[in-house]
Amino acid sequence: MADLTTLQGLRRSPLQDMAAELRNGSVQGDRAVLLREWPFLTMVNIRVEPGSETAGRIEGVLGASLPQQCGDVTGDGAHSVLWLGPDEWLVISQAAPESLVGSLQSAAEGGRAQIVDVSANRTVVEVTGPGAREVLEKGCPTDLHPRAFADNTAISTSLARVPVLLWKVDANTFRVMPRASLASYVGVWLLDAVAEFGPRASAVEGV
Amino acid sequence: MANSMPGEHPEWLWRDPDPKSSYDAVVIGGGGHGLATAYYLAKNHGMTNIAILEKGWLAGGNMARNTTIIRSNYLWDESAAIYEHALKLWEQLPEELDYDFLFSQRGVLNLAHSLQDVRDSVRRVEANRLNGVDAEWLTAEEVAKVCPIINISPDVRYPVLGATYQPRAGIAKHDHVAWAFARACDAMGVDIIQNCEVTGFIKDGNRVTGVETTRGRILSDTVGMVAAGHSSVLAEKAGFRLPVQSHPLQALVSELYEPVHPTVVMSNYVHVYVSQAHKGELVMGAGVDQYNGYGQRGSFHVIEHQMAAALELFPIFGRAHLLRTWGGIVDVCPDASPIIGATPVDGLYVNAGWGTGGFKATPAAGWVMAHTMATGESHELNQPFGLERFTTGHLIDEHGAAGVAH
Amino acid sequence: MLQIKCPWCGLRDETEYKYGGQAHVAYPEDPAALSDEEWAQYLFFRDNPKGPFAERWVHSGGCRKWFNAVRDTRTYEVLAVYTNNDPRPEISPEITATGVAAGGQ
Ligand SMILES: Cc1cc2nc3c(=O)[nH]c(=O)nc-3n(C[C@H](O)[C@H](O)[C@H](O)COP(=O)(O)OP(=O)(O)OC[C@H]3O[C@@H](n4cnc5c(N)ncnc54)[C@H](O)[C@@H]3O)c2cc1C
Ligand SMILES: [Zn+2]
Repeated sequence: MADLTTLQGLRRSPLQDMAAELRNGSVQGDRAVLLREWPFLTMVNIRVEPGSETAGRIEGVLGASLPQQCGDVTGDGAHSVLWLGPDEWLVISQAAPESLVGSLQSAAEGGRAQIVDVSANRTVVEVTGPGAREVLEKGCPTDLHPRAFADNTAISTSLARVPVLLWKVDANTFRVMPRASLASYVGVWLLDAVAEFGPRASAVEGV
Repeated sequence: MANSMPGEHPEWLWRDPDPKSSYDAVVIGGGGHGLATAYYLAKNHGMTNIAILEKGWLAGGNMARNTTIIRSNYLWDESAAIYEHALKLWEQLPEELDYDFLFSQRGVLNLAHSLQDVRDSVRRVEANRLNGVDAEWLTAEEVAKVCPIINISPDVRYPVLGATYQPRAGIAKHDHVAWAFARACDAMGVDIIQNCEVTGFIKDGNRVTGVETTRGRILSDTVGMVAAGHSSVLAEKAGFRLPVQSHPLQALVSELYEPVHPTVVMSNYVHVYVSQAHKGELVMGAGVDQYNGYGQRGSFHVIEHQMAAALELFPIFGRAHLLRTWGGIVDVCPDASPIIGATPVDGLYVNAGWGTGGFKATPAAGWVMAHTMATGESHELNQPFGLERFTTGHLIDEHGAAGVAH
Repeated sequence: MLQIKCPWCGLRDETEYKYGGQAHVAYPEDPAALSDEEWAQYLFFRDNPKGPFAERWVHSGGCRKWFNAVRDTRTYEVLAVYTNNDPRPEISPEITATGVAAGGQ
């Protein structure tokens, strides 16, 4: 058995090499936009017939219901559950993946369900600040105006043509989740996209 | 015409006759292929009591909308034979038709951007040579010698690794080609009848005996369907199905510029093709819109994508202005090869499924379609392209060579 | 650019979808029993009407579900969307008629 602790130490996030660039490239001022990777969140993909007994047991483990509609996000505690499709969800959590996947799998045992650890599939780029929505609007075909896109909503869409999950936490906080291999492209695109919104953090702080 | 009166119309190139009640043969569709079919029916087979029935104006369909690339560097023997026959005819047609339709053999480059692309391209070059088609493999540096404005820097997302080159390929002025054929057809007595839509078929048992049209019933025992994007619509009226799907295919031109682009460049991989017309517009196209459509228009994102590809290959186009975009209706076959031959209805023949690339084949398509209609038998060149190949499984898959549309 | 209403996600741009061609083409019950002509019809021949067309789309950039739409191939107007479990909806002739008027031709 591999030593998991050692492996964890060796783990690299998709945007690890861009951490400083994202920090320094963030912009300040009235329309500030801060860019930052939130690496290594646990992500678990669930497929199950909604409303089934198995789904009920899974909901028990999550302490949240599986959301029923496109955009809905449930869970206010340890785990958030995002709607991906009528029978597909993504759990995002800070719990260790082995234990969460383990308990979900035991809950699903004997039923028809699929529980997969997809933590390495995507990373999270947090785009925050009063300019956040406007920056994303430059490259996202979905209407992000609050009248159409409420707080705590998550959808599959695209940013700069690449598929992402986009989770709006509140008016000034968005989580963009590209696949790992496209993350640096999204990072570079965001760095370019924020430029017009204010002075770079590096300029202000003299980094 | 210097001495014509103001408002006076220049000489007509063809008559505008009323349809007769019957003909020895009728060709449905007055695009390039319909015109060429009538031309060779008259010229090669002496059939002059014939008519072309066109629902709109002459050559207002794909013939008016294509990007005029002519080449014969297709992979399979069957395709090389028919497209090369076309190219040889193109080489003699300006003189034969006594019409300078600006056929310009400026060569075509088909770029390769990945190792697999390179292998496929080299294979195609070798296959072309075995079939007597002029073809060369060029390195990236050699590509830049033929077309200096291509960006061959290795520092782009899809660097140019080389290209196939067919020097005899080129472009021509499509509307002039149509007018040249029309004038020659007319001179031999062919009736070109516009604003005449075929709305149904008259049959005796399983034999066609004529067509219903918006200008009345026209009898004929020999009918050729040459309706490109509308082939399925006509086939349905005749009682059978064709394995084609009609898609929008768009193209665009820039404003007029000084000559900067000496050849034709196509890239299947980044998905764009570009030439520069005689007048100076950069002519660009890409792939079909994904959905079926008879609207002669497509979606803007397809154009956006092709422009992005063009810019990557030709950074010099960065300041070029788009002048206009348009679309045609192309009838796409599952194997990207055409259908030419008999139909389930006796006396009714079809030429269809040329999809995104039939302009280059215009003379050969007319040649073999005329032969098929006049003799009731396929010419050896279109024999492999019959409808029965979908039953026998002998498809002629030209997706690689057909590539980026056209 | 078309806008298509996914039955689950709502109205989204065409760039989020992939086209799947004619809908309601069933896989043959017993493929081995088909003649070559019948197999060819199943494999290669599809309707290609000028007018309302029941067709498949997949919301590949969204919920990744397949569904059906009736769309007018003259005007590109989407007349109805429905899930794979629903029957093909009746399209009233008036809808079709306005479709034509809107698109010209
Ligand atoms: C944007 C675009 C770019 C292209 N670029 C190239 C290229 O670079 N190189 C190349 O080789 N090919 C190209 N093509 C493909 C090429 O244009 C076609 O394959 C070719 O023109 C088809 O033959 P046609 O000229 O006879 O078709 P069309 O000109 O479309 O002729 C068919 C005619 O049939 C008529 N018709 C239809 N139904 C009826 C009816 N019921 N009764 C009477 N008449 C009817 C139509 O009105 C039409 O005029 C391109 C096509 C498009 C749309
Ligand atoms: Zn959806």
